[in-house]
Order: sequence, then structure tokens, then C-alpha cells
Amino acid sequence: MSDIDEALIGSFKRVLINLAHFLPAVLALVVAIAVFALLGAGLSWLVRRLLNRVRFDERAGRVNAAGVTDWSPSHSPTLLVGRVVYWSVVVLGVVVGVSAYDSATSSSHLAPVFLPYLGRSIGAFLIAIVGTLTANYLSRSVLISAANARLQYARMLSVGVKSLVFVFTGAMMLDHLQIGRAIVELGFGILFGGIVLTLALAIGLGSKEIVARSIERNTDKSTPIDQALAHAAGDTSRGVRHF
Amino acid sequence: MAVSDTAMETAQQTTGPAVAVTSLLVCLGNAYSSTSPEAIQPLLGMIRQALAAAANPVGKVSVLFPAEQAEMGTIDQDGITLQPYHSNPDAGSLSLHTAAMWLQMHEWMRTRGSDAGILLGAEAETLSPQTFSGMIHAVAGRGADLAIPRYILPSNQGLLNQAMLAPLTRALFTGRISFPLALDTGFSSRMAERMALAAQRVPAGSRANNILWPVNEAAVAGFELAEVGNTQRDLPPLFGDLSQILREVAGSLFTDIEAKATFWQRTRPAKDTLRVDGEQSVVPAPIELVADQEIDDLISSFRIGYTNLHDIWSLVLPPQTLVSLKRLSQASQENFAITDAVWVRIVYDFVLAHRLRTLSRGHLLGALAPLYLAWVASHLLALREGAVSDGDRLVRAFEADRPYLVSRWRWPDRFNP
Repeated sequence: MSDIDEALIGSFKRVLINLAHFLPAVLALVVAIAVFALLGAGLSWLVRRLLNRVRFDERAGRVNAAGVTDWSPSHSPTLLVGRVVYWSVVVLGVVVGVSAYDSATSSSHLAPVFLPYLGRSIGAFLIAIVGTLTANYLSRSVLISAANARLQYARMLSVGVKSLVFVFTGAMMLDHLQIGRAIVELGFGILFGGIVLTLALAIGLGSKEIVARSIERNTDKSTPIDQALAHAAGDTSRGVRHF
Repeated sequence: MAVSDTAMETAQQTTGPAVAVTSLLVCLGNAYSSTSPEAIQPLLGMIRQALAAAANPVGKVSVLFPAEQAEMGTIDQDGITLQPYHSNPDAGSLSLHTAAMWLQMHEWMRTRGSDAGILLGAEAETLSPQTFSGMIHAVAGRGADLAIPRYILPSNQGLLNQAMLAPLTRALFTGRISFPLALDTGFSSRMAERMALAAQRVPAGSRANNILWPVNEAAVAGFELAEVGNTQRDLPPLFGDLSQILREVAGSLFTDIEAKATFWQRTRPAKDTLRVDGEQSVVPAPIELVADQEIDDLISSFRIGYTNLHDIWSLVLPPQTLVSLKRLSQASQENFAITDAVWVRIVYDFVLAHRLRTLSRGHLLGALAPLYLAWVASHLLALREGAVSDGDRLVRAFEADRPYLVSRWRWPDRFNP
């Protein structure tokens, strides 16, 4: 009976000792993240004040008419830079916190496992942001161009482009995170190849007349739009000239 | 604020003091790229006729033309000095005068001591000598800083100008000029300096294809504006699609409106525009009927746009405009009409969205194309039914609704659709 008591007390002591090592480590991690979050907020505020003072939004809009401001139109470039600064400092805080956690607990080896994965997660997150922006931008470009080219199936084309970019982005993210690499490669290859083959077959076989009509219309549009001059002399009805 | 018609009727004189022009600099725009002195002989003939008939004696006349080999040197031909300059291969395809051209023009005028300059666009040889001498007279004899010809175009041409450019310019900048982005422009040395300053504000990399708006610059500077005659002229062929034209021209005007917001938000008294060498009354545009098929195509473009771009339009336009567009998309050809009030709101809301960057500016101007085509179809149908092409009516509608633009410009969220 006394052996059992000793074993239980020993286990309990070890748990308490581990907890005594673990709690300060967690506290160090939380404090590091909190301090860096506050620091990030302060830095972000400072950067935004500075950029507002030098009229960064105005300059960015004037210099780069189709650049970052167009890719994230609902946010001003200043706000974007401010957020990038804030999150960079927070991530730095996480890195410092994890290192502090490792130092506080002699038995833990979190940093060698966590930090590389954190790096990959940030990379995957950036891929997701760029992929989403690209998908939205391209799908809207295709929608507007196709509608202006008078294609009835403009929306379908737009959704198709968006889906392709999302599939591509998702595969890149999973590959970057090293999750199911072989399966992702194989699955992406099959899916992407299948979509392209389907489109090729659909266009080549099923929609050849539509494509022929589209090409015909585009050929007509590639001539000068000054159709008024192109009409035969003596023709009572004339075309329009926009500018 | 509405500009009264009486303001237009002032200064309707065709004569003025015979002030001599010491040095006149005529520059052929980039549309004459890679030309030769022989190729511009018809144009020189027109200039000689104009100078002979000019009310103001002109001293030295220099004609600059773009050439691939600018090293060929100056040539004197019957009192006109011809000088080649390096053509700019990056200039836009719309034969318009860019910031780089204005900057260069000011530099040439400064080094030659020219007191008047004339920029000519493509096909300028078809311009009448009276118009050319009218531009000289406006600047030298009448003290105008900017002289713009008033082209007489058939009702089916220059539609973007009728729909948007002229009404917007006149409503916001009070310059009573019918073609704010004319191919040909006469100006004083101080106007050239002002344009050069405006050109310098454009980033160096985009000066070669950035269009400037001289009428707006002159209005902001308080310079004297003149409109020359009722001019007939051949227009150069245009290449490119409507979206490109909207991006380059309407986009440029929207940007200029944003840059000069402090000017047009204030109510200002109407400023007279000089009329030079023209008829007392404005000659109405000759009516040219358009084929049924073409009007059908325009309406169909709008309907396809409505089906596909409705979500994008709803980011820009308020609900009442969207309801009007819905009705328009369901209307038959006989009832297809977009009212002035709806069109004005559409244009103003797009100007605001351009400023607020509600969506990418390229996308925004692309999404405007079907709406503009709806206006064109409606306009052509109205002309077919015997309506008179009255640009002033649309201008008055733009002027009347200007408070809406000013309010939303100042407090965009208060009126946010």
C-alpha cells in the first residue's frame, strides 16, 4: 500500500514540477505576444501617421494607377502598410515567445518544430491572400471584357477563371504546408488537367460555332472603329463614331 | 451653378486690334510620326493661306514636325521654317496631345521666344485656313490664352464628347467649349507655361501617354477662353475598342476632376467665352441616320451588360438608378430611352466611384461601356424620331445636378448606395 502511495505522490510531484516549469513558460509566451502586439499597434499607428503626413495614398494612386491600390481597392495603401507592419511585429512576437517558452522549459523542443512550420504557414497565408486577390481581379476582368465583347456566357467564363485560380492556389498552399504532398500533386494534376481537357473538348467540339462567331466578331472589331468612314459612299445609314 | 445664355452672347465680335505676333510656333502632333517635309506640303499650303488672310500680322513662323531622323536640320520654305523633332513611339493611339508634348511645346516656345503656339492633330490639312487664322487672332488679337475650334460633326460622330466630356467640363469648369479635347489648339505663351507645369506634375514615366485637359487648366488659372468658328474637319481613323477609349479619355478626365476638386466645388460666376470668326449662331450638327442593325447591336450590348455586370454596377450606382436600368433593359426598341437625369447620375456616380476607388479603375471604366452604349442607342433613336440634337439640354442637366456631385464628393458615406 505504501508503494502505491509513494508512486502516486511521486507522480503528483512530477506533475507539479512540470506544471511549475510549464506555467512560467506559457506566461512568457503570452507576455511576449502581448508586448509585441502592443508594440506592433504603436508602430503601425506611427507608420500610418507618417504616411498620411507625406500623402502616401495620393502619391501611390498617382504613380501606380494599376498597382497595389487597384488590387486592394477597399483599403487605402496606408492602411495596408499599417496592417502589414502590425502583423509582422505580432509574428515576431510569436517567434520570440516560442523561443522564451523553450528556454523556460528544459525538456521542451517546440521551437525547432514550430518555427519552420510557422514560416511555412506565413508563406501559405501569403499565397492565399495573393491567390484570392488574383482570382477576384482576374474573374472581374474576364467578366467585364467578355460582357463588353458581347459574350452571353461572360459570367460562366468569369466563374471558371475564378475556380481555376482557387484550385491552383489551394494546391500551392497545401504543397507549401507539406500536407499530403504526393496526393495533392496527383489530385491537382488530375483536376487541373481534367478541367483544361474538358474546356478544350467543349470549345473544340461543342462550341465551335460560338467560337467561330466570336472570332468573326473580334475580327470585325479589330478594324478601325471609325465605321462611319468604312461605309460605302451613298449608303444612307451610317455607323457611329465614339470619339 | 447654371451658366446663363447671356454670358455666351457677350464678346461676339469678329474683329479686334491687329496685334502682331512676333513668333508663331506650329507643332504637328505625334500623329504625324515619321513624316517628311514633302508629306506635309498640303498642310503648309493651308498654313500659308491662313497667314495671308490673318488679321494679325505674323513675324516668324516655325513648323515642327515629328520625324525618325530629327538630325536632318531646319529647312526654310517661303518664310516658314520647318524643323523636325524626334517622334515619340509611345504616344497613345488616339492622336491626342500628351503631357510630354505640352512640356516639349513650352520648351520650344521658350527657347524661340514665341508668343503664340498652335498644336495640330492628325488630318490637320483638312482644317480651313479661316479656323487656323481664327486661332491666331483669338490669341493675338483678342487676348485669349486658349483657342479651341468648334467642329461641326454629324450627329453620329464624337458621341463620347456629346455624352460626357463636353457636359462634364462645362458643368464643372464653366468653360463654354464644345470640344474640350479638340485635336487642334491655339494658345498663348503663358498658357503653354501653365500646361508645362501641369505636365510636370505627371510622373515622368507616364507623360508620353497621359492626356492633359487644357480647358480645365485654363479655367482653374482664370485664363481667357475662345472658341473658334464652326469648323468642318476630317477626323483621323481611330484604332482600338471602346473600353480603351473610355480608359484613356474618360479615365483621364475623371482624374483631372479629382485633381481640381477644390476649384469646381465652389460656386463661381459664369465666365464669358470669346467667339471668334464664327457664325453668330451655333450651326446644328447634321443628322446622320444609323442603321437599325447597329442600334439593335447597341441595345443588345447594354442588355448583355445588364445581365452580367449588374453586381458591379450595384457597387457604384444607387438603387433608383438600378431600377431605371432594369426598366431600360426590359424596354422594347421603340421605348428604349435613357433620360438626361438618369444619365447624369450615372456619370456623376462613376466619377465618385473613380475617386473613392470603389473598384479597380480599369474595371470601373470597363463597366461604364455598356451604359454609355445605352445612352448612344437612346440618343440615336431620339434623333431618328425627329428630336433636335441639343447638347445644351444635357449640359443644363449636368449643371442642375452638380450639387449632388458636390455633396457626395464631400460626404461620400452619407449618400452611399
